[in-house]
This record gives sequence, structure tokens and C-alpha cells, in this order.
Amino acid sequence: MVGLSVGEKHFIQGGIAQDLRSDGRKRLTYRPIYVETGVIPQAHGSARVRLGATDVIASVKAELGKPSALQPDKGKIAIYVDCSPTAAPMFEGRGGEELSTELSVALQRCLLGGKSGAGAGIDPTSLVVVEGKVCWDLYIDGLVISSDGNLLDALAAAIKAALSNTGIPKVDVAAETTSDEQPEVNISDEEFLQFDTSGIPVIVTLTKVGRHYIVDATSEEESQMSSAVSISVNRKGHICGLTKRGGVGLDPSIILDMISVAKHVSEQLINKLDSEIAAAEASEEES
Amino acid sequence: MAAKPGSAPVTYSPNLGQKTRPPIFKDNDLDWVRPDGRGFHQCRPAFFRTGAVNSASGSAYAELGSTKVIVSVFGPRESKKAMMYSDTGRLNCNVSYTTFATPVRGQGSDHKEFSSMLHKALEGAIMLETFPKTTVDVFALVLESGGSDLPVVISCASLALADAGIMMYDLVAAVSVSCLGKNLVIDPVLEEESYQDGSLMLTCMPSRYEVTQLTFTGEWSTPEINEAMQLCLDACNKLGKVMRTCLKEAASASQE
Repeated sequence: MVGLSVGEKHFIQGGIAQDLRSDGRKRLTYRPIYVETGVIPQAHGSARVRLGATDVIASVKAELGKPSALQPDKGKIAIYVDCSPTAAPMFEGRGGEELSTELSVALQRCLLGGKSGAGAGIDPTSLVVVEGKVCWDLYIDGLVISSDGNLLDALAAAIKAALSNTGIPKVDVAAETTSDEQPEVNISDEEFLQFDTSGIPVIVTLTKVGRHYIVDATSEEESQMSSAVSISVNRKGHICGLTKRGGVGLDPSIILDMISVAKHVSEQLINKLDSEIAAAEASEEES
Repeated sequence: MAAKPGSAPVTYSPNLGQKTRPPIFKDNDLDWVRPDGRGFHQCRPAFFRTGAVNSASGSAYAELGSTKVIVSVFGPRESKKAMMYSDTGRLNCNVSYTTFATPVRGQGSDHKEFSSMLHKALEGAIMLETFPKTTVDVFALVLESGGSDLPVVISCASLALADAGIMMYDLVAAVSVSCLGKNLVIDPVLEEESYQDGSLMLTCMPSRYEVTQLTFTGEWSTPEINEAMQLCLDACNKLGKVMRTCLKEAASASQE
């Protein structure tokens, strides 16, 4: 994947041990994050996030559907990630499938909460139009355009930005329907409802290289990792999901330490991301 | 495949008696019982048996309640020609469901991520450098899905690997807990899993005290995480012992 000589490997590992990484960052510093919203006019909401050379797009599409019989008061949310072959030749054909599934599952775990819908970043009850009859189905698609490490954090940030950019059309329901008929709906193309995105968590991936862990690893640094833990944290400081990558085992106390570091880092990341999203929204309105 | 009359299935419920802090999650709730009548911190009896498949290098069968899993291990054998040279061995994992494993036919295909989760849980325990240029295939088949499928698959797979004589640092034991309201139930059954507010799965190597895989869903605070992890680690430790006994029994039976 990444071809590195022995010397380069030592340089990366030594730099991380001394808290000065190859691009001059400290261990717990993110690369500058750039957010652009409304990049896809066809979607209800979209955003592009760049973290160094990592470049991802998230789009949100909403369609009217029928809620499932088991959960009549909840809309459906689906999250898929696609790794484009433009990002890396190995994503061509079925090559990116494994990574795509891994990223999709990790994002679903972090954003959608438990099976019952508790602890979800996006409130599925806000998607219901008529209980048991009509609801919005939300399709969130992530696309990896260019990959230079830390895809999961970038995708989560892009989804958060895309959802704050999303406007769901207001729906008027015709009143005179009997109980078993599918009600007639009128979709407004002028009025849009905004999402409450304050509860959506960010994902912080801590990559363990040697004895230390770093945030926002580049793909060179990722090639040297022994294991990585992706932790999603919301504004309240609660953990909303956790996924471990990389095969090497970790001591339980190290995991707990990583969780507390991630909580600390996430505060800055949430604030940074929120101000970037606000700035992107403002510049979009101007143009 | 029934248990031998002499060997009663053993359980591996954790105990949390030694703690001084009052636990956040109670062991029982007066107005609520689990579908199978267990205590909240009580595991299902675990039954393991190695050598379930003759043609495989190693295999194991596990039965926890109604969850029934069979895992066979093939290899180490030559890697496919298309694969590049590698000086460490490769691990190839595949988890599949029988069409009749789930209440609705063919629902098992929802679990595409299980194969990669199994891979990640096991690769940290296997000494891959002991079989360069070759591949070990681990095929798991869920015969009946009764909840906590993935933890059972992982534990069973590590037993099958041990049966195949693949060098490992330690056996891998896996346990999951579900959070239902204010309660934490260990080793959830299918019904509990479908209503859970959050879940945690932990796989670890008990004698090395190392976590190989950990996943969370739902919202958790740090003290809750602490307690759930302790519960899982303790249960993993005991499950590891159950698995070890199974291996010893198989070894002593073959000597006779």
C-alpha cells in the first residue's frame, strides 16, 4: 500500500515518540479542516470536507416512505460509503468493498445508536410525517475522493456538515383520509425544515504507533500503526460508539485512557467543526 | 449434536462482588425478567466440542442456549496465485448464516460485517509469522441464530484454530452485553438484542489480559463503560477457562 524504506519508518516512529510528527504537528493536533457545504445541487444537503490530502463528500437525500411496522414512530436512515477508484487504484472493482463496508458499519454504529434508536445522533422520530403512514427516509452517502488517512473522522465531519446543510421540504397532509388509506401529501418546494444537528457526534480516531497514540494520522503514519480505536463523542461528552481497528491487542486500561483522551480532543474538534460549518453556510448564502 | 451425559454444560457468569463502589447497573430488577429467566449478569450455559468436521484441519462446535455455531479451519495452505508474496501468513475469515438460522428466512445476509469483525478479533492472537506464504481459512456457519452470534462465532473460531494446531498467543474469548434502559444484561438473546438501547462487545485473550476487539453502540458515559468492560473481562476470563477445559478433554480423549 504505502511503500516506505526502513529509514522513513524510523523517522515517523521517532517523530511520534518525540511529539513532533513529519508534518510538524504534535501528537494530538488535527490537520487544518476545510468545510464546503451545498456542493451537490441535486441533494437535499451536502458537504465536502478536506483534511490535508483526505477529501470526502457526503450527501443527504430524503425520500417519502412508509415507516416499518415495528417502529411506526420512526423514519429510516441509511448510511453508505463508497470508495471511488479515483482515490486509490486498489479501490477499483470489488477492491474497495471491504473498506466501504467497514466504514459504513462504523458510521452506522456511531450515528444511529442502539437498535431501539436510543442514543442516536439523528433523531429518527423527527422524520415522521404521519405516524405509521408516512415518514422521510434519509439516505446519507459518503464518497471518498482522495484518501490520505483518517477517513472515518473526515466522513463523520462531512456527514455532520451535510446534515446541518439539509433542508427537508415541509409536507402538508390532506386531512380527509380514512384510517387505513395512505394519506395524500403535498410537498412544499418553498418551505424547508432544518435539522437539529447539535446532538450529532464527531469521531476521533486514535492511532497507536509504538507506545504513543496520535490523532488524524496520514496514510504513512497509518501504515506504521499497531492498532487504532475510533471513538465517537457527542457534545455532552458521552461516548456514542467505538470501533477498534488493527489486529494487535490492547490492555483494557489503555483503552480507557484513549477514551478520556478522545473526549478531551473531541471538545476542540466539535468547536472547530461548528465554526467551520457556520462559515461555510455563510459563504454559501453570499454567493 | 447433544452433550455427552457425563459432561454438564458449564456457565461463565462473571461476579462483581469484590467491588467497593456501588454498581451502576443492578443485577436484577423487580418488575422485569429476562425471556429465559436468567439473572441480568448470568450467562447461558456454554457447550464447546472440537473436531466437529472430519475433512478440516481443525473444527469446533459451540452451543450457547439456542445459538449454534460450527467453525472449520483449513490450512495453512498455499495462498492463491493472484496474491502477492508475503513473509507473514494470511488469515481469511468468512461468516455465513444458514437460510434457516433466523426467524425470517435468509435474514442472515444482513451481517456482512461479521467476516471482517471476526478477522480483526482473531488476527491479533495468531502468530502469523509462523506460516509465511500461506493462508489459513476460517469458515464459520451459524446454524441457529439465538442472539450474541458474533461473540459465539469468535470464541468458537479460536477453539477451532487451536484444534487445527495453528500457533496462537492465547485463546480468544468474546462476550457481549446489552444495555436495556437502566439495566445491563450479559450474553443477550435475540429478543433482547432487538430492543437494546446500546451494546458492547469485547473480545480478549484472557491470560494475556489483552483486548483484541471492542465495539460499542449507543450512548455511554465513562463510569458505565468501566463497569460494562469489567463485567465482560471477567466473563471472558471464565469463558476462556471453559474453552481450555474443552481442549484438554479432547486431548486426553485422543490419548486413551
